[in-house]
Amino acid sequence: MTTGWTAVLARWPRRSGRWSLRPRRATRRPAPATVVYRWDLDKTYLKSDFESLRKMMRVPFERAHDKIDEPGVVALIRALKTSARREQRAAFVYFISASPPQIGRAIREKLALDGIECDGIVFKDQLQHLVRGRFRLLREQVGFKLAELLKARLAAPAGAVEFLFGDDWESDPIIYSLYADVIAGRLEHDALADILVRLRIDPARLVEIKALSQRIAPADAVRRILINLERRTPPDRFHSFGARLVPTFNYFQTALVLYEEGVVPLAAIVDVGRSLLERSAYSAAGLRNSLDDLARRGYLAPAAALGLRAELEEAGVLPSAGVLGLWPRQLWRRWRRRRQRARAPLRPPIAAAEIEYPRLIDAWVASGSRLGGEPS
Amino acid sequence: MPVIAVDAMGGDFAPDEVVKGVARASLGTAIECVLVGDEHRIQKILESISYNPEHISIRHAAEFVDMNESPKEALRAKRDASIVVGAKLVADGHAQALVSAGNTGACILACARHFRAIKGIRKTALASVYPRQTEYPGQDQLALLLDVGATIRCDALDLAQFAVMGSAYARRVSKVERPRVGLLNMGVEPFKGGDVLSEAYQRLTVLPGIDFVGNIEGNDVAKGRADVIVCEGFVGNVVLKLIEGIAEVVTDVASNAVKRRLMWRLGMMLLARGIREVAHLADYTKYGGAPLLGFEHLFLKAHGRSTARAVENAVKVAAKAVRDGVPQEIAAGIQAVR
Repeated sequence: MTTGWTAVLARWPRRSGRWSLRPRRATRRPAPATVVYRWDLDKTYLKSDFESLRKMMRVPFERAHDKIDEPGVVALIRALKTSARREQRAAFVYFISASPPQIGRAIREKLALDGIECDGIVFKDQLQHLVRGRFRLLREQVGFKLAELLKARLAAPAGAVEFLFGDDWESDPIIYSLYADVIAGRLEHDALADILVRLRIDPARLVEIKALSQRIAPADAVRRILINLERRTPPDRFHSFGARLVPTFNYFQTALVLYEEGVVPLAAIVDVGRSLLERSAYSAAGLRNSLDDLARRGYLAPAAALGLRAELEEAGVLPSAGVLGLWPRQLWRRWRRRRQRARAPLRPPIAAAEIEYPRLIDAWVASGSRLGGEPS
Repeated sequence: MPVIAVDAMGGDFAPDEVVKGVARASLGTAIECVLVGDEHRIQKILESISYNPEHISIRHAAEFVDMNESPKEALRAKRDASIVVGAKLVADGHAQALVSAGNTGACILACARHFRAIKGIRKTALASVYPRQTEYPGQDQLALLLDVGATIRCDALDLAQFAVMGSAYARRVSKVERPRVGLLNMGVEPFKGGDVLSEAYQRLTVLPGIDFVGNIEGNDVAKGRADVIVCEGFVGNVVLKLIEGIAEVVTDVASNAVKRRLMWRLGMMLLARGIREVAHLADYTKYGGAPLLGFEHLFLKAHGRSTARAVENAVKVAAKAVRDGVPQEIAAGIQAVR
């Protein structure tokens, strides 16, 4: 438990780091009435191991209880649904995977085991491609996922806001960004065609994507793209995707971003934090460092970070920074550190940049269809 | 896991190499590091490399001490220098050890101002590991030389305390069960070297818990006779620099010889593997750094030209020393000989 002073001082209204009598401005966005959460399966929900051919071959034969979820993800997905229900909002959770439908049963059982309510899963019918001899399509992901996302958008409730979850292993950042810009009507049909050609998408799929994109009523519906940095790809490689895409190192950071977006309550961050502490051997100090990292990277406003820190300390998820029992000299040093931190120039928020797809795709192709490339 | 404060702004290649070294440690170990320095510069470097944020925090320090600055004046003028902030972090209990590749004088001064000396310790010692010949299979390839510059002049009691500190460090970190201690002198006879060294010899002979092997001459420094060699800071620093200098000269001479005759070049090619092994043994980036012994907290001085690998190893050595309780071992050793 946090000793009184820290909590009181953190909640005290401040402006530009100075004490103020004005109430602190709320940084959380209001929650949308209808939200669709689209999740990638491998390396985002499941800790799938594709590092060797042997391990990859084992995946289809794994049973539900053999599958391991990413730390904290279960608590987070559960919270997405429960918080929406509690606040009488509509929330839909979908999964999309380039894995074959043959693993569907194990995945559904795993979701049931984890207590996750899923509204739909899309798999890639690899067998069909194999039978038809379309071997190139077996490895092709961008065209498949983009087409499926567009189909899903057509079926989504009107006005639904979307949050997309992927990882840094292959092409999720580029697929999701492209999808967001297509449904927002930011990409002209010629520009889209040029991008799809650059991405070497199968001609039949290209026609399908173009047709689907023409049927969609433009809406800037994708609010955030959250990329799980499973490979620890350097975060600045994602700057060219703009502020919409947030690379996160763990699901605690993801929960913090979703909290600021207004779609999960503080209790969800606490649940994710507790799950990481109890199930995945994270330390409270590690979670505090994660929060600070997100704030330093500009995805969490400093005032929000300070407030969250105090609340999470109180909830016992972050280490207590209690001040009672300290010597006056230490108190003085702590006060001075806070002053220094308040005075330090703040990093400007990452701009919502217009994505230069041709340049991005060239880099993506050059790095062997892996946006992040090899971790440095 | 111990928390290690790292002066991000200290060193010839700081902050880039220091931050990269800490990032490497964050990916490969569970050691928590506090990077002390310009928050924005540190964060910018971090974001351009792979790192694990769970093991890294940043403490902003607006100033830093340059390698060429006078330590006293710099610390007087720069109260918010990264090395000072780092030392305070350790002194306040927010971290258990401090690592810096910065200005040695400023580092020692900052530690002296903020760390409390172990009860009974009169002077601190900077200890350095160096590669040496081994006498028997399984003997550690590294020996410890102290002091190498923290205390310029010292008396017999100081040298005896250095022996206790060096033994404790070798026992805990190098895992040498009973380290052999030698006194650096100009002859092996007990009366050589003047009053201070003669008295030190007498003291070391009767010191409980110390395996004293007698005086060590200059030509024995690189041999395996002693695991810990004690001397005053002035002499130790000269010896250390001499070893470094000889290594550089030998490398230069060999590379020049290669250019002069084809046969010599062929000979060098045949010796290539052996040379690589020697170079690997003499590679300072492997050893982390030189611990400053005698304080209740640990300070590890990394080489000024430290690369990311050297910083990573310095962090690992500091964490190991904290985990193995080096200051506590020294305190117990000093208590026993008082």
